[in-house]
Amino acid sequence: MHLGLTHLQAALLFAFFASIVLGVVGRNSDKERIRYGVTVFGYFVAAIFGLGWLMYFGHG
Amino acid sequence: MPKQKKAMPPVQQWAAPVLLGWLVPGAGHFYLKRWNHGGLLLFAIASMFIFGLLMRGRMFEPQTGDLFTTVIHCGGYLADVANGSLYFLATWLGYQQQQMATAVADYGTKFLACAGLLNILAVIDAYEIAAGQKP
Repeated sequence: MHLGLTHLQAALLFAFFASIVLGVVGRNSDKERIRYGVTVFGYFVAAIFGLGWLMYFGHG
Repeated sequence: MPKQKKAMPPVQQWAAPVLLGWLVPGAGHFYLKRWNHGGLLLFAIASMFIFGLLMRGRMFEPQTGDLFTTVIHCGGYLADVANGSLYFLATWLGYQQQQMATAVADYGTKFLACAGLLNILAVIDAYEIAAGQKP
């Protein structure tokens, strides 16, 4: 079995799993953990699209 | 006035959750009866590792040479080993992937190493809880 993911799918999958772990270990109460995990995921997605467009324009 | 260093908690207080957490992602939290957190950590870290395998990521092997090669390969190897039993099981079952020139395989290599790095964070969290430094 071999997964053929696109860059975007792989990056979003990475962001999803990393956000869960960072959310769990990053804060002290469950409410804060959920908020932090969602925020980190949002930053990941923003970075993915931001860097994607930066590379697009950088390559001309 | 200089800050006083905190004394390190006794080893028997944190050794079991740290060792279990390294061997099985989330097991340190299970040991500390943090069932939900342990379950989430197990799900996220094991899934990332399995996706790394399915994407045909490559396991690092320790290799020395110039500084860059040493840091990448030895650091990557330590990150892979930090997956604990997932890494040992995969290598024991014969998983061996040569370097492939595809973006997905490259992502897979990063997934495998990052799963180990995230497990290190989980182990540190288990240590802090066991040592009473975190609620």
